[in-house]
Amino acid sequence: MFFHIILERNLQLHPRYFGPHLRDKLVSKLIHDVEGTCSGRHGFVVAVTAVENIGKGLIRDGTGYVTFPVKYQCVVFRPFKGEILESVVTMVNKMGFFAEAGPVQIFVSNHLIPDDMAFQAGDVPCYETSDGSVRIQKDSEVRLKIVGTRVDATEIFCIGTIKDDFLGLTGDPGGAA
Amino acid sequence: MSTEPFRRLVKLVARAFYDEEIPAKGPNRSKSDKSDNRGIAIVILDALTRRQWVKEEDLARDLKLHPKQLRRTLRVLEEEQLVVREDHRETVKAAKAYNAAIAATSDGKPGEQEKEEKQKVHTHSYCCLDYAQVYDVVRYRIHRAKKKIKDELEDRNTVQEYVCPNPSCGSRYSALDALQLVNPFDQNFHCERCDSELVAESDKLAAVELADGDGDDNARRRQREKLRELLEKMEIQLKPLMEQLARVKDLTPPDYGTFTQWEKKAIASGRIVSSNGEVPELKVAHGQGPTGTPMPFLGETKVEVALAGAEDSKEHIKEEVAATAKVLPPWMIRQGMNVPTSYSDGRHEVKTEEGLGLANSTALDVKPVEDKEAIEQKLKEEYYKAYYAALLQRQQEAAQVHTVATVVTDEQVTTHGQEIATSDRQVGMKSKRDEREEEEEEVEWEDASVSGGLHAVNEDATEGGLLEEQTAVEPGVGDEGDDEEIDWEDG
Repeated sequence: MFFHIILERNLQLHPRYFGPHLRDKLVSKLIHDVEGTCSGRHGFVVAVTAVENIGKGLIRDGTGYVTFPVKYQCVVFRPFKGEILESVVTMVNKMGFFAEAGPVQIFVSNHLIPDDMAFQAGDVPCYETSDGSVRIQKDSEVRLKIVGTRVDATEIFCIGTIKDDFLGLTGDPGGAA
Repeated sequence: MSTEPFRRLVKLVARAFYDEEIPAKGPNRSKSDKSDNRGIAIVILDALTRRQWVKEEDLARDLKLHPKQLRRTLRVLEEEQLVVREDHRETVKAAKAYNAAIAATSDGKPGEQEKEEKQKVHTHSYCCLDYAQVYDVVRYRIHRAKKKIKDELEDRNTVQEYVCPNPSCGSRYSALDALQLVNPFDQNFHCERCDSELVAESDKLAAVELADGDGDDNARRRQREKLRELLEKMEIQLKPLMEQLARVKDLTPPDYGTFTQWEKKAIASGRIVSSNGEVPELKVAHGQGPTGTPMPFLGETKVEVALAGAEDSKEHIKEEVAATAKVLPPWMIRQGMNVPTSYSDGRHEVKTEEGLGLANSTALDVKPVEDKEAIEQKLKEEYYKAYYAALLQRQQEAAQVHTVATVVTDEQVTTHGQEIATSDRQVGMKSKRDEREEEEEEVEWEDASVSGGLHAVNEDATEGGLLEEQTAVEPGVGDEGDDEEIDWEDG
C-alpha cells in the first residue's frame, strides 16, 4: 500500500558545497540518499515529493561537515499481509518462484501454487497446468496475495500465494511490453 | 440433571483417546519403567465415573492396581485436565469423615475398616472427574485436531519450512528466508551453514519423502489424499463421541465441588438418610439437591420439566392429601373403602413407581383448577348438560348408566369443584370431547407435558369412577380398576 507521509532526516553536507546552490544541492542529495531505501517502519521510499523545511545547519567539530535537519514529504510503499499485488516473476525453481512488485521481493512456494500446476524443469523452468493453458515462467505477470511478511530494519520480504480466486497469471512474458 | 450422559462421555473419551499406552510425561519418566500400562486409563476413568471423590489408595485397592501405577496414570490424566486431584494432610479423624462421606454416597454400603490406628498425620490424595472440564477439554482437543488437518489440507496461509537434510547440521529455515537461501548458480535453496541443498519440511501428519526432485508433485498429491482420508477417518471414528457431546451440550454437568465441599455435603445428606431410615425414597427427594447424588431411578429420561416443580409439587401433594382427607364427604364413603391407610399407600406407589412426572402433574393441576373453577365451572356445566342431552338421545344402550351419572354430577356441583371435572368426564363418551378439553386445558396451563400427565391421571380417575358407578348399577361388570387408586383419585 502507498502512503504519502512526512519524514525527517539529518543530511551531512561537505563544506565545498557551501555557496549559492546550497539548497539545491541539499535536495538532490536527499533524493539520492533516500529514494529506493527501505525502512522496516515505513516501507520503501518511492519518491520525494517536496521538501518542507530545512533547519539550521550545525558544523561538526573536527570535520567541517554541516548537518542539516531536513523535513520532506515522500511516497512510501509498504506491503501488508492480505494485500493483493501485481508482480513480475523473476525466478522459478522447484521450490516455487520469486516475483517482484516494484521494490519488494515476493516468494511463492510450491504449495501455495494451485495443485493443477506442476513444475517443469528444463531450459526455461516454469509452472504449468497439465493442458498447458497456463504457464508461469520468468517475466510472467502474476497477481498474488501476500500471506506473510518479514520486516527487518532495512528490508522487507514477502511470501505470496496464487492459490485463491482471481489470482495467478495475468500476462505472459513480453505480452505487456 | 443426570450424570449418565456425562459418564458415557467420559467412557467414550477414554476409549477414543486413552486406549493406547500412556507415555509418562515430564521429568517423572523413568527408564527402568517398562510396565505395560496400555488400557489402564480406560479402567481408571471408568471406575471414576462410578465414584465421586475417591481416595487414591482406595481406588488402587478396588482396581487391584499398584498405587504408584495408578498415581502415575492419574497424574497424566490430571495434566490432560480430565481429573482433579487434591492432597490432604489428615489425621485418622479426617479419614473417618471421608469414610462417612463415602458411606453416605455409596448406597448405604458400610464404611470400610480403618486401618490407621495411630494418631499420625498422613497425606492422602483424592481424585475426582471434573465433568465440566472434560467436556471443554474434549471439544477443544477435537477442534484442534480438525483444524490441524484442515489447515494442512487447504494449505491455508502456511509458511513452508525447509530443513537441512545434513544430519550434522539440521538447520531449519522458513520461506521468509528464501531470498538468502537461493543459490545463484543452480537457483535452489542451500543451507547457509553447510551449503547442502535444503528439502521442504515434512513434519506434517502425512509424511512423505520429498528427496527426489521430480516426484515432488506426485508426493504432494498423495499427501493430500492421505490427509483427506485421515480427516474422513477421524470424522467416522469420533462420530459417537461427537454425538455424545451434542447430547450433553445443554445439560448441566455434575459438579462435586472441591473435596472439602463434597465431603461436607455428602456427610450432611448422609445424616438425613440415616435419621429418616427411608433410604431409597430420600434419594429421589435429594437427587436434585446440591449434592448431586446419582439418580438411578431416572436414567436418561427427560425429567427436567417435571423436576423443576417437583419440590413444591410434593408439598402440594401433601396439602392435597390432608385437604381431601378432611373434606371427604360422607356420601363418598362406601363399602370396602379403607380410607385413611389406602391414601398414603396409594400416594407412595405413585411417587415411586410411576415417577415424578405423574405425581407432579396431579399436584399442578389440582391447585389451579380450584382457583379458576368458580369462573369457568358454570359455563362448562351448561355446556356439558346440553351435550349430555344430545348424547343421551343417541346412545340408547348406555342410557341407564348415564342417567345415574348425571344425577351424581348434579349432586357434586355444589360440594366440590374437582369432582365435577372428573365425574363429568366419566359420564361423557371420550370421543370428541376429550380432544376439545385437551385444547382448553393446554390453553389454560400452557404446559403440554403437565396437561398430558393430568389426562393420564384423570382418565384413570374416570375409569375408576365409571367402574364404581357401574358396579353400583350392575355389579360385576369389571374389576380392572385398582381399589386404592379409585379411592384417592376420587378424593
